[in-house]
Amino acid sequence: MAAVMAIAENLRGPAVGRPSAADARRYWLQAKRSQLTPYLFIAPNMALFSVFVFFPLLYAFYISLREWSLIDTPRYIGLENYARLASDTLFWQSLSNTAVYSIATVPMSLAIGLVLALALNRDLYGRTILRSVFFLPVVISNVATAVIAAWLFNDNYGVINALLQQVGIGPVAWLSSPRWALFSLVVTSLWVRIGFCMVVYLAALQSISPTYYDAAQMDGASRWQQFRFVTWPLLRPATFLLLILGVIHSFQVFDLIYVMTGGGPGFSTTMIVQYIYQAAFVGSEMGYASAMGMVLFVMILIFTLLQWRVNRRVEDVA
Amino acid sequence: MATITKRSFLKTSLCAGIGAGVGMYWGAANAQKAASLTMTSWGSPAEIAAFNAQIERYKARNPNVAIKLEVVPSGQYYQQLDTRFAGKQAPDIFRAQYQRIGRYGQSGAAIDLSQYLDAGFGQDFLPSVWRASTIKGKPHALPHHTDTFALFYNAEIFEACGIEAPKSLDKSWTWQEFIGAAKLAKEKAGLNYAFAMNWQNSNAYRWLMYLYQHGGQLLDNELKGPQINTKEAAETVAWTQSWFKDGLVPPNTSLKSSEPVQNLFATGKIAMLLHGDWQIPFIQEQARFKWGVTYLPRDVAMAADLGGNALAVSRDSKSPDVAADFVKFMVAEEAMREFVTKAQFLPVRKSLKEKGLVYDIRNEEMKVFLEQSATVPEHLVSTIVLPTWDRFNAKLADELELAFTSGQSPTATVANIEKHVRSTLLV
Repeated sequence: MAAVMAIAENLRGPAVGRPSAADARRYWLQAKRSQLTPYLFIAPNMALFSVFVFFPLLYAFYISLREWSLIDTPRYIGLENYARLASDTLFWQSLSNTAVYSIATVPMSLAIGLVLALALNRDLYGRTILRSVFFLPVVISNVATAVIAAWLFNDNYGVINALLQQVGIGPVAWLSSPRWALFSLVVTSLWVRIGFCMVVYLAALQSISPTYYDAAQMDGASRWQQFRFVTWPLLRPATFLLLILGVIHSFQVFDLIYVMTGGGPGFSTTMIVQYIYQAAFVGSEMGYASAMGMVLFVMILIFTLLQWRVNRRVEDVA
Repeated sequence: MATITKRSFLKTSLCAGIGAGVGMYWGAANAQKAASLTMTSWGSPAEIAAFNAQIERYKARNPNVAIKLEVVPSGQYYQQLDTRFAGKQAPDIFRAQYQRIGRYGQSGAAIDLSQYLDAGFGQDFLPSVWRASTIKGKPHALPHHTDTFALFYNAEIFEACGIEAPKSLDKSWTWQEFIGAAKLAKEKAGLNYAFAMNWQNSNAYRWLMYLYQHGGQLLDNELKGPQINTKEAAETVAWTQSWFKDGLVPPNTSLKSSEPVQNLFATGKIAMLLHGDWQIPFIQEQARFKWGVTYLPRDVAMAADLGGNALAVSRDSKSPDVAADFVKFMVAEEAMREFVTKAQFLPVRKSLKEKGLVYDIRNEEMKVFLEQSATVPEHLVSTIVLPTWDRFNAKLADELELAFTSGQSPTATVANIEKHVRSTLLV
């Protein structure tokens, strides 16, 4: 009993009177410090985010209300740039091209990435090398990839046309025909994107506990059923992440197009960011380009919020 | 062998001493105050070497002045320059095409150089380029050189196909003769395509030379209204469009393409190339066949493109007086002679044209370009140096691209260009 009393005394702490002012200040400082610590950890990130994202975003909105050619003084014109967007057929065409490009690349890159991840998650001879081969385009600069792709698809001296001509096909105007240019871009984008999807899916697959599969096997589930009812639901967060990133990436695609087609032939491969770039740096209409940039920002924001809400609802139901 | 006597040695030493003293005096009198300048330009290796040689000569005369040449790829040059202006960090001196001077001058980005120039400074310059460099009578850049287009041809293919290139300007091919030669070369030499034109990389304005050859023009004589929605203009669009429709030019050589057309010629993929004089060093180095240069085709008139660049001093320069002095040095007769003969350009000083030049390579071919440059229409020059040309040029490229690659009709094309003239060029 004495021992219990001693423990209770220790737990209560030493008997003290009213804390002095110095103690109170020390406690207050300690409490504040512990509150501030997380902010210090995120401060470098927030500083960079503010300098390179948040302030430029505010500045872009400021410029979107002005007429500015970069070398003169910005002139306030109210919402004129936004009003002009409504009647600009090229803006709508570039949006439509972007939507088509997204639909063509995002589901396909997810599907191929998943198949590759499933294949390379097994004990396969040379799988490390294969993983590196598929992942390599992700770590190489997009511009370099685009230059390589432009050479492969070149109408006049490209490898693809040379091979096709060996079997009596072509030459195909891969980059200079409105019919084929978008297709060539989609193929190149898939080449770049599937490596990233594969790695994310691989990480997700390796985080699934083998006990789920053991249990499923004991219940007599076939391989397809194991995938359908165990793997796929557990890959949902990874799929959601890749979907969001894929759509954002495809809405922001620029370097591949800039190098491979310049938005042509005609406007057949002009995506929204390419059009913004053209307005800003070729047409010297920085205000109009900023207005388009703001619209793109709002679109991506709405899409992300919608996806986020849908995913939360699905997770809640699950 | 002459013997050096004590007297002759003393005389020689005295003369040398006086000479060196005079040299030092003039050197000191001419030397600029200490300044560190940056200059930006794009250019071929030959151009950059010629720029650097001139910079070294200027620095030898002005030891207090440091000049750094920043070379930017031509495709990103103006974007980078404008961005630096926006950040108030533009280089002291920048190179710009005559078509761009109006924009930089009107916005104040290129400063008025009047205060640094003596009266009558512009008198020795060709009137067209001097006018292109001035705004309301004030020079905002100094003309450095000009260039123009002509027709490069593969002499071996021509010989094999029995095609004879015109030997003089008055015998230059008509449009029909040019197309006839192109079809013959394609057919007989078994080529996929016959020729290509350099109008990529924001150089849509080069299409205008065909418009003038066909008797059309973009603006009326007073430069107050559009004159593009005409039969002549539609026919010019149709003619250039037919190059693509008939498979005479590679489809990936339209205006938005990034295809370096000179590579196609240098590798023997095409028999002819419509390009400028500055490509001579590249083709000389790369082509493994005999080649020559002949005159541009013509229709009801002869017309060539006004190319070339001027040098301007930026408003961000901390030493505009020194920068202006360097620009004056660069456009002086001697420096200009050296630059144009090394980098294969045409001079913009009347005195140099009169005296004649001997080019480092392909002197005979350069004579073709010199002769062709006399056919640049004055009205064309006045049109493309309007301060708003830059913005319009992008719209012109869009419309021609649609005609060449996406089947937009010539009449719709000229009607659309007319709209852009009203909304972008004449504002």
